[in-house]
Amino acid sequence: MTVLVESWRIALGALRANWFRAVLTTLGVVIGVASLVSVRAVSAGAQQEVADSIRRLGANVVVVDGEFITAGTRQSATDRTITPEDVAAIGNLPTVTAVAPNQEMESLTISAGRFTATTLLFGVTPTYHDIYNQTAGAGRLITESDVSFGRPVIVLGLVQRRKLFPCQNPIGKTVRVGTHLLEVVGIQARKGQFGDENLDFRSFTPLPIVTGVLLGGNNVKSVGVRVRSEAEIEPTMDEIGTLLRRQHNLPESSADDFTIEDQAALVKEAQRASKTFRVLTFALGGIALLVGGIGIMNMMLVSVHERIREIGIRKSVGADPWTVQLQFLLEALLLSMLGGIAGVLAGIGATRLTGSLAGWHVLISVPSILVAFSVSLGVGLVFGYYPARRAARLDPIAALRYE
Amino acid sequence: MSGVQPASIIELSDVTKVHESGDLLVAALGGVSFAVREGEFVAIMGASGSGKTTLLGILGLLDRPTSGSYRLVDTEVATLDETRRARIRGERIGFVFQAYNLIPRATAFKNVELPLVYSRVPARERRTRVLEALGEVGLSDRVGHVPTQLSGGQQQRVAIARALVVRPSVLLADEPTGNLDSRSADDVLSILERVNAQGATIVMVTHSNEVAAHASRIVRLADGLVEADEALERSPLALEVAR
Repeated sequence: MTVLVESWRIALGALRANWFRAVLTTLGVVIGVASLVSVRAVSAGAQQEVADSIRRLGANVVVVDGEFITAGTRQSATDRTITPEDVAAIGNLPTVTAVAPNQEMESLTISAGRFTATTLLFGVTPTYHDIYNQTAGAGRLITESDVSFGRPVIVLGLVQRRKLFPCQNPIGKTVRVGTHLLEVVGIQARKGQFGDENLDFRSFTPLPIVTGVLLGGNNVKSVGVRVRSEAEIEPTMDEIGTLLRRQHNLPESSADDFTIEDQAALVKEAQRASKTFRVLTFALGGIALLVGGIGIMNMMLVSVHERIREIGIRKSVGADPWTVQLQFLLEALLLSMLGGIAGVLAGIGATRLTGSLAGWHVLISVPSILVAFSVSLGVGLVFGYYPARRAARLDPIAALRYE
Repeated sequence: MSGVQPASIIELSDVTKVHESGDLLVAALGGVSFAVREGEFVAIMGASGSGKTTLLGILGLLDRPTSGSYRLVDTEVATLDETRRARIRGERIGFVFQAYNLIPRATAFKNVELPLVYSRVPARERRTRVLEALGEVGLSDRVGHVPTQLSGGQQQRVAIARALVVRPSVLLADEPTGNLDSRSADDVLSILERVNAQGATIVMVTHSNEVAAHASRIVRLADGLVEADEALERSPLALEVAR
């Protein structure tokens, strides 16, 4: 204990005497630790974002989009190729557990009294809320009876709620869409940002209101299809393709008039691409740590060399090899520890900065900081060992005579 | 001389030391045997190259003999491992070097404290013993000074305090007055005489007859062998009586 305390004091004194050299030496460790911390934070943030995205996209949900109906060179402005019969046929596939047909209207203006707002209006069935994990923040969502009776009701997004009813409870109030009046029955709970899109900008109404009343026709733009299990997603996508081609009587030669997408798979794909980049940055951090370690070793060798005589003196008054080794090991440890602390701080700073500049979602976690810090200590121990060992093994009489 | 012989602190028998320098083997000691008894003040003399510094290095366990036996206070120490030798150096031996060999950035207090730290003496006891040792060499008012703030004579007195603070079995001095002016040298020698009179055993290497005259016995080395071993007229006891 006595020796340990004294060794700390000696190590501190030695670093203080050469503080500028010490700062330069630790730079490599600082950079290494900082990059470990920030890469980990960016990576954890990305992972969380992917998890969030997948949750929003629904688990095991594929999206079937119909294209606009074309007749010769003319294309319908609103009518799509997916019919209610298509939806029912997809729903009958054995691996499909739910279907959510929906039709959307972009940049639709809705008003309430003197207030107006634009929205992305979705005509949906309750299944839609179900597979995309939507909940009501106030009031209720679209129900089965809303759909079957074609009730003129609407569930507003938070954005429209703020714009149309800045200072009153919107539930039970009426909003106007074109010449139609819809009763507000609920507000969707906060969903936040998804990619470039603010999900709280969406409003929802029963499917027949959009298809039958606002647009006309029965076809839908899109169907959300929930598949029984992740492994069955791909075969089911193939089956849906075959089914729709048959339903639409498409000849061999013509292309699909619909698209089928596993959006979660796309997100995961994008994730894999950015993973390569992160592995690279991680490797660069490792190299920085290695260089930092070599820097520490170099400084420690210089430090031992400068103090050969002092080591001789210490040995002559009773310092055993282990004590001498401990003293220099502590010095290296102290160096790397300072580098580690500075690196963690720099890493947190850099993470915050890139997070806000690049708009990335970042997640700084305590375990990742502890890991990075311990790695820096490990570097100090590993690269401090050889110089310390060299000091410990110095021949006392040769060390004392050293000029 | 009284009838009861004091115990031997140091017993060397047939100690040799061969230095290797490249392909050359140089015999620095060629079979040295002698004993030092408790309370003696031995001066080792000889021309340069006679092996006297090598001998002191071996006595201080800084160096190992190539062959032969070295018993320090009834323990064979020639063959011990480095850790045990370090412990014995710290607990049984006090060194005073020609070049003082103080740690530059450390205060007088810290320098004197060092051997006690390495022998794991508790902090409170260290403090009293360090202050006591510095008082003994007349430096109570220089406790917080670093070596560069002290004169050569004062630095050597700090070194003596550092050597004495562990209450060693033997104090080894290598030309302790070699770097000092005559007044400081007298100071240092009178301190050595005084602690010898109080019972400390001292072995001192010197080339100067004047310095050696302070000892109770002179061992002369030549070419790595003991050439002469003579007792001087003054014994520590006689000195004490004279005072």
